[in-house]
Amino acid sequence: MTLRQRLAVATIAATIPVAVLLLWFDAATHYEAGERFLVSVGGSRLAELQAACEADPAAFGGELEPHHHGPGPPRDGRGPRDGGPPERGGDGPRGDGPGGERPPRRERRPGGPDGPPPPPPRVWAYDASFAPTGAGAPPVPEGLREEALAGAAVATDAPLWPGEDVLVLLRGAGDAGRCRFFLLSGHTDPHHGGVLPSSLVWLLPTAAVFLAMLAAASPVVRRIRRLRDAVGASARSAYATPTGLAGKDEVGELAAAFDRAGEEVRARLADNARREQALREFLAHTMHDVMIPLTVLKGHLATLRDAAGEGDGKKAVVSAMDEAHYIASLLRDLAAAARLDAAVVELERGPVDLGGLVTRVVARHRPIARQLEVELESAIPREALVIDADETLLEQAVSNIVYNAVRYNKPGGHVAVICEAEEGARFRVTVLDDGPGIPEEELARLADRGYRRDEARTRAPDGQGLGLHIAQRAAALHGFALQLGASEYGGLEVRIAGPVARAEG
Amino acid sequence: MQRMDKRILLVEDDRELAGQVKGRLEEIRCDVTWWPEGRRLALASDLPDVELVILDLMLPGRSGLDMLRDLRAVSDVPVLVLSARGETSAKVRAFQLGADDYMTKPFWPEELVERVRARLRRPVLGRSDVVTVRGLSVDRRRREVTVDGQAVELTRVEFDLLSALAERPGEAVTRAWLSQNVLDPDRDGTERTLDVHVSRLRKKLGAGTYVETVWGIGYRLADEVPA
Repeated sequence: MTLRQRLAVATIAATIPVAVLLLWFDAATHYEAGERFLVSVGGSRLAELQAACEADPAAFGGELEPHHHGPGPPRDGRGPRDGGPPERGGDGPRGDGPGGERPPRRERRPGGPDGPPPPPPRVWAYDASFAPTGAGAPPVPEGLREEALAGAAVATDAPLWPGEDVLVLLRGAGDAGRCRFFLLSGHTDPHHGGVLPSSLVWLLPTAAVFLAMLAAASPVVRRIRRLRDAVGASARSAYATPTGLAGKDEVGELAAAFDRAGEEVRARLADNARREQALREFLAHTMHDVMIPLTVLKGHLATLRDAAGEGDGKKAVVSAMDEAHYIASLLRDLAAAARLDAAVVELERGPVDLGGLVTRVVARHRPIARQLEVELESAIPREALVIDADETLLEQAVSNIVYNAVRYNKPGGHVAVICEAEEGARFRVTVLDDGPGIPEEELARLADRGYRRDEARTRAPDGQGLGLHIAQRAAALHGFALQLGASEYGGLEVRIAGPVARAEG
Repeated sequence: MQRMDKRILLVEDDRELAGQVKGRLEEIRCDVTWWPEGRRLALASDLPDVELVILDLMLPGRSGLDMLRDLRAVSDVPVLVLSARGETSAKVRAFQLGADDYMTKPFWPEELVERVRARLRRPVLGRSDVVTVRGLSVDRRRREVTVDGQAVELTRVEFDLLSALAERPGEAVTRAWLSQNVLDPDRDGTERTLDVHVSRLRKKLGAGTYVETVWGIGYRLADEVPA
């Protein structure tokens, strides 16, 4: 629910009960005024009414004459009298007291917006058992009976929602005679006794408040929307820009709170970046520190190999050489994996001489290939093939493919690396071998870009999966195609293809 | 081992590694000067008279990259850079500053020797008209071929084939490239035909296995006696 809707609903929800309460209160005061009027009229003329009733009980009942001429109460109250509106005053003992509430009504009526004036009150008489003395009298309501029997001189009704019809039961004087109770029935006077103005003008302020509230909500809603957009922009800029929403209201405070939170996030991000940088430097230093002794180790192993001659000694040294070479390759893979696992992999692209890269890779693995008795050959084009790539990553990718082909081959096996220019300013590096190859379904899995490094590790614990996975990722990051397939020689054929760098200038 | 008789400057701070490298290079009769730290090279005379510099990037004293910058200001000597950190930026920077080649640690002594040799011999190859490999001589301008001084008669295709391989002795050339660039594509441009031509060429060149088959690739002019 939007703020505006919420305000509208809340306002309506608050207004309706208040209006109902007001209307009820208005009706109740009207009713009470009506009661007071009947009681005052009836009370002041009770003796007169009693006398008239006792004189002729059966004929008693009907409209109460405003000015009584003699003790005879009006006769025949069926239907509205056309004797003109009752006049003010009368010669009863009225004039002041409760009856004083009556005059304004007569004066205001002509200008009143409502219909005809209420009919004059009517009166009926009842005996001790509430049997009407005359015909046409309505039954006395139960509530009034009980009140009257309890001894009250005046019994009044208390309806839940006071209507326009008012009933009052008066106890006559004395205990004898047939006319013991008088029921007076009248109407409330819309112009008298209420608390609300008779016109609906009082609704105007309510409506005005309602509209004012919605109008007041508008700038707030606008500011909230601006804050929403500013927060979105700030988040997109990695919280580098504050929301820039000033103001002393709650929206301003919210903006300030968000800016503080943004600073916190930025600080954490910077902290993480610092940590990542430190970790990377640590890794680089470690690599440096490990690679030097590893080079020395390789040197010693090569010397040992030269001295070992043939037989078991040679086998052991070659095996040690293989392991040393593998460790170096694994370390490079781990360094590459650390880069590839970063949240944002940044390629350090630049012009790369692909022929030179292939030559370096082949030279790197040829000594170990020779020891493993695998023939490793390469062909590069005559014209320099320059592509746009991250040299370290691409070299590692090609190196992994070549090393896999060498390492998993058998003595007497072959590995060929061919670097060629293709039609349409594209390059292609093909590595093929006559080794055992990789089963079809495993190939499909390796080619799957969603193939995880952990899976790669468990599936091929000796690192074949990891190497190919890194090659895969590196190629994908460059936008190069990497294809794995069976070679025509029964082994594996891996192909990396992509565009040649545009000539500069 | 082929004798090189070359002078090399080795700048490497790790004593053990430097000793090994020096030893390996001396095996191929190179004269190695070793500097265990980076030095400022303000004048050409600060640099020993060498034909190759092997330069580590992480050095005490002056850094490898700074030395490379100094060096390029006073000399055109080939520089082989050694790096252990494997960062693209350092490599790119080294190439920008004029390095000719680089190697990442750890490397095999064999690998180093191979690279040093390739670097030192490169200018000698060039694109000369006459290519000589052991007893074989190919005069590409005059289209004449001799084996051990004896002239050999070759067809046009056979000569073009040999000439193409002789352009880079020792390096493999793919069959696809040869059939596209040497054979007449309209008449007999298939790799099968190429094999037939190679077979005839081999017969004509005699016993000294000059045209070698390279598995998975194609052919090469063998510059050394095959093992």
